Formats: sequence, C-alpha cells, structure tokens
Amino acid sequence: MRTHKLPNYLLAHRKRAGLSHEEVAFLLGQQCASHVSRYERFNRAPDFHKALAFCVIFRVQIHELFCGEYQKVEQIVCDRAQRLAVRLAAQRQDALTIRKLAFLKAITPVVSDQP
Amino acid sequence: MSLRSRGTHRVLAIDPASRGFGFAVMEGQKTLVDWGVKRTRSDKKAETLLKVWKLIRHYRPRMLILENGNAKGSRRCKRVRKLLTDIRAMAENKRVKTRSVSLLLVKKVFLAFRATTKHQIAQVIATQLPELAPRLPRQRKLWMPEDYRMSIFDATALALTYFYTHPARQGSVHNR
Repeated sequence: MRTHKLPNYLLAHRKRAGLSHEEVAFLLGQQCASHVSRYERFNRAPDFHKALAFCVIFRVQIHELFCGEYQKVEQIVCDRAQRLAVRLAAQRQDALTIRKLAFLKAITPVVSDQP
Repeated sequence: MSLRSRGTHRVLAIDPASRGFGFAVMEGQKTLVDWGVKRTRSDKKAETLLKVWKLIRHYRPRMLILENGNAKGSRRCKRVRKLLTDIRAMAENKRVKTRSVSLLLVKKVFLAFRATTKHQIAQVIATQLPELAPRLPRQRKLWMPEDYRMSIFDATALALTYFYTHPARQGSVHNR
C-alpha cells in the first residue's frame, strides 16, 4: 500500500533552493511571507498566477510542484470524461461522435489505472 | 505525468538528541521532502511527542522510522530509550506503522559506501542528497560536542537504511 502524494512540494523545493519565506514572497511579489508558509502547510492554495510563479522560481512543471492537487483534479476530470463517453456512446455514431469517443478514451484509461 | 507516480512510499525518520530531535521525510531513497531539527526546551518528552505528532499529521507517512535504542551497538541514554518507546507507542496509537532500525544495521548499510564513522556516513548522505550538503557540520574533534545538525543526518541515515534494506519500497518517482 502506498500513501498519496502531498498537495504540493513547495517546501521541499524552497529548502533545496536555500531560499527563505521572505525571499520567495519577494519573488512572488507579495509583501507578507506568511502567505508562502500557508501554501507550504497546505492551509491555503495559491491562485493561478502565483502557482505559475512558483513553477518559474523552482523551474519545475506544475504537475510536479502541485502533485497531489493535480492528481485530485485529474481524477475528477477523468471521472467526468468517463461519464461523457458513456453518454456519447448511447447517441448516434457519426464521424464526429467517434472522434470524440477516441479522444475521451485517451483520457479515461487513467481512471482504470488507479492504485 | 506518469500514471505510476500516483502513490508514494513516504516515511518519517526521527532521531532524538539532547536538545530536541532531527527529522527527515523521504519519498524513496532519492527524494527528501523535508528535513530539520526541532528544539525542545522545558518538558522535553511532551514537546517531542507533540512535535512528532504534528509532523505525522502534516506528512501522513506510511512508516515512522526510529532507532532501536535497545539493540546491540546503541549507546542511547535512559531518557532517550524511554522517549523512543513513547514515540513508538504514540505512533501506533495513531495507527502509524513504525520500524526500528538498529545502529549496527545502519553501519552495515553504509559500509558498502566505505563509510564507517558518523561523519563519513553524513558525507555519503550529503553526496547522495546535495540539498543536505550546506547542513553538513565540520568534522568533530574529540574535545568538541556534537553539532546539533548531525541529528538531521542521523535521521536521514535511518530512512536510507530502511529504503536500502527494502528495495521494493523505493516508491517515489517525484521528479527532482
């Protein structure tokens, strides 16, 4: 059995870089360093622009930095994709529907691979 | 993102010292998630238990790794031996699995890297996990007390020993 990924790995990347909360807050353009601490303790989620700024600062991709959050969203989207595929499969099978189903099939295998 | 990276084998290693404890959170043998030293002042036992519990609650580790204070080769004082037992009991009470690693096993594992002393083991760890290199203390002379940062390396050594002796549990593919 495995444990789930953490919502984000901001603390690990900040410590690896040797940066303080104040320095990261400055890079983010925030006045208060406590916001960075809250993001690291998973008490608060950064907005989209802050999340991208973190990716720029630590030079990692968003799904690596916000691994747990990404997996949560991925799971929800895959569930929806599966439901949409079922709905489309019940409709008349024209070329567009077949194309849509092929596209959705590429997303849905993620769901069946869950641990 | 690889689908195989969904789960991870996260462990928390604790190394009690005279003025607190060192800790390391690892996901596989190559990924250090968090590390540091927590200080305890007045009621060392209560403070340590509280801070360890906070770390468990935050990181939700699969396993808590502690030193086996009663094993051969361990030179822990009575207070720390009792504290290790209390931490283990607290973790098990909270349904966190624990694993005791003996000092002899740690030495045996790091012997493969030709490291026999504590400082040599710390140097090997600093090479494997470069993020710890700035925390590596200077080599201790006989008349010097042990640097407080050494407990970070001791905790990391416990976690690495756990992963090296259980190769199937190197679960993380969290990219660095």
